[in-house]
Amino acid sequence: MRNAESQWRVVPRGQARGTKPIMTFRIPHSALRILAALWRLNLAEELQYRANFVASVLGTLFWIVTALLTLAVFFSHTTRLGGWDYWEVVVLLGVFNALTGVIEAVLRPGIGRLAGEVRSGGLDLVLAKPVDPQAFVSFRRLDIWRLTDVVLGLALAGYALHRLGRVPSFAQLAAFGLALVAAAVVVYALWVVLMSLAFWFVSVENLSVLFDAVYEGARYPVSAYPEALRFLFVYLIPIAWTTTIPASALTGRLGPEIGLVAALVAGAALVLARLVWRTALKRYTGASG
Amino acid sequence: MSRVAEWGRRYAALIRNAWLVDLQYRASIVLWLLWGVTEPAVALGIWWAIAGDGQVAGYARADFARYFFALMLVNQLTIAWDSWYLDGWIREGELNFRLARPLHPAHEAVAENIAYKARTAGMIVVVWLVVSLVWPAVRLPLAPGRWALTAAAVLLAAAMRFFISFTTGLLAFWTTRATAIMELHAGVSLFLSGRLAPLALLPPAVAGAAALSWFPYMLAFPVELLTGAAQGTAIVKGFAGQLVWLGVWIAAYHVTWTRGLRRYGAVGG
Repeated sequence: MRNAESQWRVVPRGQARGTKPIMTFRIPHSALRILAALWRLNLAEELQYRANFVASVLGTLFWIVTALLTLAVFFSHTTRLGGWDYWEVVVLLGVFNALTGVIEAVLRPGIGRLAGEVRSGGLDLVLAKPVDPQAFVSFRRLDIWRLTDVVLGLALAGYALHRLGRVPSFAQLAAFGLALVAAAVVVYALWVVLMSLAFWFVSVENLSVLFDAVYEGARYPVSAYPEALRFLFVYLIPIAWTTTIPASALTGRLGPEIGLVAALVAGAALVLARLVWRTALKRYTGASG
Repeated sequence: MSRVAEWGRRYAALIRNAWLVDLQYRASIVLWLLWGVTEPAVALGIWWAIAGDGQVAGYARADFARYFFALMLVNQLTIAWDSWYLDGWIREGELNFRLARPLHPAHEAVAENIAYKARTAGMIVVVWLVVSLVWPAVRLPLAPGRWALTAAAVLLAAAMRFFISFTTGLLAFWTTRATAIMELHAGVSLFLSGRLAPLALLPPAVAGAAALSWFPYMLAFPVELLTGAAQGTAIVKGFAGQLVWLGVWIAAYHVTWTRGLRRYGAVGG
């Protein structure tokens, strides 16, 4: 009886010790705490399905072999692709695979589900939470096994660099690191913009396919494409910044200062994506009301 | 005769139904279509760059353009998503409802394929016609005889890909990774069925191995028939290969269906 009574008396923390309730004030690291909690939960969940780890690694190896054979077919008829030789393109493939890992581990299971939620009204549950909806929707899941793609991709890029016989300088490595992070940011921004279309086209549930279609172009250096397409990929749908630029920074095809340019592009992409998201979210009226 | 009329009536109803369902999802279908044509478009872009002003094994830029445009159309006309559907139906038990209907579930799947392909291939033909107005490279010679042959080859290829997809989907009776097997098949077909490059551009050993498999008959053969690359005995050989492999896959489907269903019944009790 006593226990039950004390349970009733549980008061919100803000009101404890007789203080007046104050407005919730989000300190910056509360977001990180929520993220850590969500990802810990995911991790516990995923660790139950260890066979998925093996399947994921096998899938990635199969993909890498397929991509290398594809290149072998192209290079059996040429010595250069858009001015790049074989192992340079393999560096790019490694970057592509590493970014695929980020996409499959975080973006597709997170923001990739947005279209379905806008349609069903499930987004209500997200909006009711006292967190930033864009951040929550984007980073709520972490499919840990797919991060092996990042490791395997970087290993492939490293091996190709070794075959090129190039040892990157510290400046080149730093530029590559910066460009790679910028690439992940650009990919993220693309997902946000494309998935925001869900607020206008409610009935389209496979919007993520749009990203896959666009990203297909990032498998090869942009210099291999005709002029008009190159312009499109550098300035309008900026997928050149996802694979071509980091690979160029690593092989020394572009000077280290490209890292800074990539960071600026990524910043601009992020701001634009945020604006699109906010405009889009205003259109949401819910469906469960 | 009345049996034929009855089946005609059934199929008309099934196709009409599938067409109306697709109408609901027409925007989604456009996105799948877009996704379907990016791979050949990217491949065309790369070969375009490699060919430059010269030729690659007899293929100049215009030949590549024609090849990959034909590939987009034939691929859309023959693609089959059935293994993904069946995998879901079997794992989630939706197959039960479909088995309870007075018609074999495969008929409904065939009708869905016809409706879907009529819609998407129609879109590609329209886009192709518009593109060919400004880009002469992708124009096809007016040759009704060849078009008729292509139509027959496309029909056989579509039937074969349907049975491949359906049979692979049925593997879900035994394994939870039936779709992974289909992905594997898609990976191999990238090279052997001519999606990446005309088979003449592959190393001779690979092209030789491909000729022993069903892969060239499900895509490359009808494509080369349409572009005019296949001539004379190659046409006869192509049709013979299509018929043989279609028979093989129908047999495989038959075995998998009867055995799988027995197993399914045992599990569902």
